[in-house]
Amino acid sequence: MQRRTRAFTGLFLTAPLLAFLLLAYVLPFLGVVRWSVTLPEPGFSQYRKLATDPLALAVLIRTLRICALVTIAATAAAYAIAYVWVRGTPLQRRLAELCILIPFWISVLTRAFGWLALLSNRGLVNTWLQGLGVLAEPLTLVRNEFGVVVGMTHFLIPFAVFPIASAMQAIDGRVLLAARGLGAARLRIFWRIFVPMTLSGIVGAALIVFVFALGFFVTPAILGGGHSVMVAELVYLHMFQSPDWGLGAAISVALVLVVGLLMGLLFRFARPAGLRASR
Amino acid sequence: MHQAFQQDCLEMLAGRLERGEVSRRRFIQAATIMLAGTPFALRSTCADAADKTLVFVNWGGDAIRSYDQAYGQAFLRQSGVTVRQDGSGPTEGAITAQFKSGKPTWDIVDADPFSAISLGKRGMIEPIDYRIVDRSKMRRGFGWDYAASTYFFSYVIVYDTSRFGDRAPAGMADFFDVRKFPGKRSLYKWGAGMWEAALLADGVAPEKLYPLDLQRAHGKIAAFRPHVVSYWGGGADSQQILLSGDASMALIWSTRASVLEKDTNGQLKFTWDQGLISPGAMAVIKNNPAGADTAMNFIASAQDPHKQLIAFELMGQGPANPATDALIPADKKRINPMDPANAARQAVLDMGWYADNYGAALEAYTRLISA
Amino acid sequence: MSANRPGAAALATAAVVAAFLLLPLLAVVPISFTPARFLTMPKGSWSLIHYRELIANPDWGRSVLLSLRIGVVSSLIATVLATLFALGIWMARPRLSALLVGFVLLPMIVPPIVSAMTLYFLLTGLSQLTGLVGYDTWLGVVLAHVVMIAPFAVVLILVALAGVDRRIDLAARGFGATVTQRALRVILPNIRFGVLMAGLLAFVLSWEEIGVTLFITSVNAITLPRLMWMGVHDNIDPAIAAVSVVLIALTTIALVGRMMLHRTQA
Repeated sequence: MQRRTRAFTGLFLTAPLLAFLLLAYVLPFLGVVRWSVTLPEPGFSQYRKLATDPLALAVLIRTLRICALVTIAATAAAYAIAYVWVRGTPLQRRLAELCILIPFWISVLTRAFGWLALLSNRGLVNTWLQGLGVLAEPLTLVRNEFGVVVGMTHFLIPFAVFPIASAMQAIDGRVLLAARGLGAARLRIFWRIFVPMTLSGIVGAALIVFVFALGFFVTPAILGGGHSVMVAELVYLHMFQSPDWGLGAAISVALVLVVGLLMGLLFRFARPAGLRASR
Repeated sequence: MHQAFQQDCLEMLAGRLERGEVSRRRFIQAATIMLAGTPFALRSTCADAADKTLVFVNWGGDAIRSYDQAYGQAFLRQSGVTVRQDGSGPTEGAITAQFKSGKPTWDIVDADPFSAISLGKRGMIEPIDYRIVDRSKMRRGFGWDYAASTYFFSYVIVYDTSRFGDRAPAGMADFFDVRKFPGKRSLYKWGAGMWEAALLADGVAPEKLYPLDLQRAHGKIAAFRPHVVSYWGGGADSQQILLSGDASMALIWSTRASVLEKDTNGQLKFTWDQGLISPGAMAVIKNNPAGADTAMNFIASAQDPHKQLIAFELMGQGPANPATDALIPADKKRINPMDPANAARQAVLDMGWYADNYGAALEAYTRLISA
Repeated sequence: MSANRPGAAALATAAVVAAFLLLPLLAVVPISFTPARFLTMPKGSWSLIHYRELIANPDWGRSVLLSLRIGVVSSLIATVLATLFALGIWMARPRLSALLVGFVLLPMIVPPIVSAMTLYFLLTGLSQLTGLVGYDTWLGVVLAHVVMIAPFAVVLILVALAGVDRRIDLAARGFGATVTQRALRVILPNIRFGVLMAGLLAFVLSWEEIGVTLFITSVNAITLPRLMWMGVHDNIDPAIAAVSVVLIALTTIALVGRMMLHRTQA
């Protein structure tokens, strides 16, 4: 009986979103999936082409590498600022809030060109460093993978703040006080108690940053100088620039499978740990 | 509600009267009928004027306002059809999607002629009706079956005079020569014009370019890769590379090159030598909402040399109608890609070749630059 | 309580991150005052032409309002749907939860360009049934945005739920609370902050969304990002930098104002 009400509750609550997404997204998406096995001719030729294409593989590996770097950088940075946002004095919290919100209002495009202005050879950063005598020759900071990582990390930090802050907010301050009362050192409390208790937030942030980063392409294209094509741009090429919808769809399906697999692994290993602390 | 609608119609009519789009007599006529409240009148005057629109899809940026000023407003005055500008970029894939939706919302696209040709062959583009569109108002060889020549731009060399002083590159061989002209370069990400540039640099005669020897072009570009600081994907991007000093030379659109030259007071200069002329065209999507005839009428109306002069002045587009060349003031002739003096120094991209080979060529090019 | 405040090392790290986050302002603010017609740092002379453009051209104000409206409506819908879904998963713990969550996250993982195609064909299809929700209508954009942002909201609320102690729910159940009571009185108050964050994230995602929006709108539903991105192929109007500066100024004033208000109340 109990079991049945539980199942009913689950069905009742999950149904609206499931039904909405099924009708508004998944069914139409299956149409796109179909292209991958029907265009230009029925069969799996697009997947075969993909599997044996060194370009596709290189692009996929590059994308995963850049996204992983960005995920680590953005999540760590977000953690630092979320900590102050949630646990600082009122003034510190307002300042942190301002720093988190301001980037949202700067259009992605403006930011990309802003970075070019800051990081190029004659840009502010190189001019300063040279003026201070730190550098003799300008550093190449942009139009390479470094520029891509900087721009994407900057864009994604505020997004990573939300889940982390929400996990931090949920922590009962008394636990930390108790630990302190028991004589635990500050650093120890942070690493042994605080961080593990926010693990679910970290995992959530990393997930959001990673998949968000996968879909990026105009900013990376501008900041990367066009040398490092990423998956999303390859899909754009096949969907719009020189259309080969079958191949574009096949790449997308392959990407969904790869990311699904990675996420499955992530959940398998990280989720129990993330939930253990709070259960 | 009904009254508000009438009010709205009246205001619209009044606005058109003010702009001189309807005569005073017609205004009074229409207003009288409208105030009398005959439903028929409502349908025929207001609803008609409000409903008749033509969606023109271009590449955005300055084009949105400029096309409206050059062609859109005049067409409204002439035919009562409002032309609305959509700047989302009519890529080949986007046009395909419009057609495949079964009910396109776009009428006219500012498409690459080769896209229009290859889409036309697959039945997605309305053939140009040369009974309405006047072939004699086009340059020879640019009236295709599925696309009507509307303007021209070129891929030209822009160079930084602060690096080279009085020396100027004389063509693609100099562009590809970093010993003679030191510094980094920038190329177009989507390939067009770059193959030709590489071949010209490699010594192929301009009239012998087609069919392109892609292998040779890619060999040249592959060897040059270390000197390419970036592959730009849009006009803004290409300007930034030169303004930031990250590249000493770049192959960019002449429309942007002339703006750069003017705004930097000549620190950045461009040359027509071995520029690559690229035609722009209008095409009509099959089953377009406003009907093929309205669209063809619009294309025909845009052949007017005076309108093309406005487009030239606002955007630097080379006119499609050769009669426009003479209207261009002497001090501006220098930036017209189709001015006889400038055109003679350039080569023209062959849209027929692109229609058949662009997809495969671009894939190989992308492979090369992202290796 | 002060024992829990961030120490010097934490503050220093956060300051570095904050500086990094604000760094582009060094470029964006000057660019907004450039006299040139393209995005570039002003050399010597500064100008207000791009601010004047914001006032002179009603498109900017209109698109800001449209983006706000779409952002508010779609984030509200997405947050409600996501909250219900996450509650269902958390309370019922169905055996297939991993699969269900994966299903819901699909729009997030598929490359946005492909989602754009998918939603384009959906909306043009809907257009033929109704003029209200379809291609190039604001409700059509809302529908597409809900699809795109709901997965992110789900992630955030699941994170918040992970921090809830299951024993309080068990206790409530033990006292005979109904499902609605448990959800509204016991669980929701505990994840209030998480739901708020989800709503905020959903709003921001809708506000910035361009990949899909560019493709499902034409001449009527011009959101702010859409207006900005139309120049990406050709020439980007420096007015977009001026818009950013205005929005930043408004946010700063609002936050500082709130701070002052709190202070006078205290």
